[in-house]
Amino acid sequence: MTAKRAGYVFVAPFLVLFLLLFMFPLGYAAYLSLFKDQLVGGTVFAGLANYTRALSDPQLLQGAGRVGLFFLIQVPIMLLISLAAALAIDSGLLRAARVFRLGVFLPYAVPSVVAALMWGYLYGPSFGPLARFGFDPLTDTLMLPALGNIVTWEFAGYNMIILYAALRTVPAERYEAAAVDGAGPWRTAWSIKIPALRPALLLCLVFSVIGSFQLFAEPNLVQRLAPNVINAAYTPNLYAYSLAFTSQQVNYAAAVSFLLGLVILVVSYAVLYTANRSRR
Amino acid sequence: MTTTLTTPTTATPARRASRPRRPRSRRSNVLTLGMVAILVYFLFPLFWLVVAATKNTGDLFSTFGLWLGHDFSLVSNIRETFTHNHGEYARWMANTLVYATVSAVGASALATFAGYGFARYTFRGRGALLGLVLGTIMVPTTALAIPTYLLFSKAGLVNTPWAVILPSLVSPFGLFLMWVYARDAVSDSLLEAARIDGAGELAIFFRVVLRSLGPGFVTVLLFTLVATWNNYFLPLIMLNDPGYYPITVGLASWSAQAVGGSGANADLLACVVTGSLLSIIPLIAAFVLLQRYWQSGLSAGAVKE
Amino acid sequence: MAQVEFQYIPTFSITKSLVDLRPYGADANKSKFVDWTWGQVTGPNGEIFAYPQDTGPMGMVYRADLFAKYKIDVPKTWDEFAAAARKLHAADGKVYLTDMAANETGAWHGLMWQAGSKPYTVNGTTVGLAVNDTASKKVADYWGGLAKEGVVATDPDFTDTWFQGLNSGKYAAWLTAAWGPVFLGGSAKSTAGKWKAAPLPQWDAGSNVSGNWGGSTTAVIKGTANPIAAAKFAEFLNSDPESAKMFNTVQNFFPATTALLADPSFAAQKSEFFGGQQLNQLFGQIGDTVNKGWQWPPFLDQSNQDWTETVGKALADKADAAGATDQWQQRVTSYAKDQGFTVNAG
Repeated sequence: MTAKRAGYVFVAPFLVLFLLLFMFPLGYAAYLSLFKDQLVGGTVFAGLANYTRALSDPQLLQGAGRVGLFFLIQVPIMLLISLAAALAIDSGLLRAARVFRLGVFLPYAVPSVVAALMWGYLYGPSFGPLARFGFDPLTDTLMLPALGNIVTWEFAGYNMIILYAALRTVPAERYEAAAVDGAGPWRTAWSIKIPALRPALLLCLVFSVIGSFQLFAEPNLVQRLAPNVINAAYTPNLYAYSLAFTSQQVNYAAAVSFLLGLVILVVSYAVLYTANRSRR
Repeated sequence: MTTTLTTPTTATPARRASRPRRPRSRRSNVLTLGMVAILVYFLFPLFWLVVAATKNTGDLFSTFGLWLGHDFSLVSNIRETFTHNHGEYARWMANTLVYATVSAVGASALATFAGYGFARYTFRGRGALLGLVLGTIMVPTTALAIPTYLLFSKAGLVNTPWAVILPSLVSPFGLFLMWVYARDAVSDSLLEAARIDGAGELAIFFRVVLRSLGPGFVTVLLFTLVATWNNYFLPLIMLNDPGYYPITVGLASWSAQAVGGSGANADLLACVVTGSLLSIIPLIAAFVLLQRYWQSGLSAGAVKE
Repeated sequence: MAQVEFQYIPTFSITKSLVDLRPYGADANKSKFVDWTWGQVTGPNGEIFAYPQDTGPMGMVYRADLFAKYKIDVPKTWDEFAAAARKLHAADGKVYLTDMAANETGAWHGLMWQAGSKPYTVNGTTVGLAVNDTASKKVADYWGGLAKEGVVATDPDFTDTWFQGLNSGKYAAWLTAAWGPVFLGGSAKSTAGKWKAAPLPQWDAGSNVSGNWGGSTTAVIKGTANPIAAAKFAEFLNSDPESAKMFNTVQNFFPATTALLADPSFAAQKSEFFGGQQLNQLFGQIGDTVNKGWQWPPFLDQSNQDWTETVGKALADKADAAGATDQWQQRVTSYAKDQGFTVNAG
């Protein structure tokens, strides 16, 4: 077998399944989004009507704005924590660094169902450290930060591991050079580690774009605790879900999902583009 | 993408071995304390879970959350959890184990195979195909779940383990990780040596390359394991028969039953809490045990650099 | 076969998913069941879509000890109820006469049912929608007012917080269905013996009507390979006296069969949790007062969602609940039209 053909052999199994399980349903969803299925009257071709409807749908636009805001605030905070933790663990200044590394990462092993259960209880007005201070996070104004907290708790460790692993690949020579120059641990962190983390940070950022805009599990699971705060269109993904399963509007749901995917794509590329441009 | 994005475990032996030579500074107590605060933040909800699992339903609602209740009911809670409804929970555990390990091993194998293919071979359409796959990382899950459900339903696959396993075998992110990893971790000299020896491409892969890709493979394995183990949405819509549920959907269904219309199942809440605790133990154990594999650098022993 | 709650039958029949049971002798069973339940399982052209299994006539369960402590008489009218709510909350700011959950569409619809509202009229693909009719507005105005005054709570029900509230005496009464008492037995054990039950307060003094919350049926799904067996088994399951009795004693379902309801030993059962009160007898009597003629729409999930986001939200935010019913009406009407129904908006 020639090297050229070998390439195809290696990628074929993955690609075949990919085609069947990703592209095919995706195509079907695209097809569905061009139709309209009514409880009375059956299926009707609708062209781009679902898309025009989505673009002027106030519920969708509100939800989109909400996840945009979520992204702008939750992600920097979470990445800051991840960065701080990764740097601290890598610095060699910590006692029992391995304990911290594992402990901070542990929440990632917890499924969102259980995380929502735990935080739901902790947020509750009757018990909860917050309730002691008269603080009820399950309200209109505080719900988004409350969800942000859950997401940060779940994923900061995951991002930390990515950053930490990237730190481990920094060549020792750079540290030696810095030591020779008399740089202490903080200076080293600032001038060597953080710049070296640039690509990894970018990776985390892109994943966070995808995660934030796709926000679904946490609001969905917290909804039963605050059903008047989290409405069916709280996030675009939640909206697509309730459109499909509560309102029986599968076609419109497909259109909404596509638009969401498009927005995610655009924002991701914008992030990467800005990052590239700001390279000195 | 024009930026280079490194993967977690592209450490080479030369770099790793010299790390300990980095000057060890004094341990900072301030920093340690700060990190302890952060650690508490990440661990205290889990502490709540452990404490809550020791309470019966009555105590759950009437005693202070972060400390023990009047009775220590952990053992009876565990027993109740496992015996409820003819050992339903144990069935769910087994299901989760099967779905997660099969999917994880399958997905990692496929991703490794393909990642290597994309990284080390050139062929027509390579760039386009790779870009296509990586682009789908950004597709929202809901866009896929419903059409997949409809298609599976036509194929008669709904409400079977395959409905959960098949979609989980395709991991664009896994492919991405292995592609980047394969680019760096496999040394050209190694490949050249093998080719000169006359080995076929597949033989090269299995006998030589696979070892180098080990840590990457384990990383993808672990991440897909977590993703499938914790998957909620996909099994929720694909499965109707509670006998096929994984733990996530099972716990959610108990949680819903506990508040169902005819509330004879209120006791189920203690089982939900205990069940939740038990469900995270296997994954945590897996993390702890497989930890050393991610961080181990690789000795590409066959080649002297 | 499937267990389908009463309120969801139209949702399944509009998609032609339920088998008409008339060819399998359904008509003969009509007299075995409480008559308003039979109306609920009947389709627009007389089809019988399911056999009733259990019901949820609504009453009021209250903490007799708290009523005694704060000197509250058991309210017989909604006016008395409102006065009691104010008196109780003034006496102790941490206690509420009841919790009107801002997400509980089941109880709310039951109260609308009691008030004589006719929000949904279904005739095949023609629907009449009047979720903001006079009776509905009356109910919304009443509860919205009490919520605004802060004398009733609006916490979501069946949550940990809500359970804690029941246990701690935060709520002195619960407007619930016949299956409610058993619920308390499981999740509020610490309050055993302190509860009593009574009929719902009435809008007009001297009248005696109620509504229903929940309850289920057994229906046969189209596409079944054994329609005869399924239909006959459903019939047996829900009408056979032994079977019906087991539903009550083992599953704590409140019966839908007239035979069991009339059974003296059933009526004579005493509940210790309720200080020895004969709950079955009380709820059996209440069951007879449930308004007939209530209908559900073929898209209840959508209507419920819309209610939670309009009227429910107004309750939770202490805003204008009566006005919010108009928003509710507008939402369900536009949905129904979009789905191809012919809509008669009331």
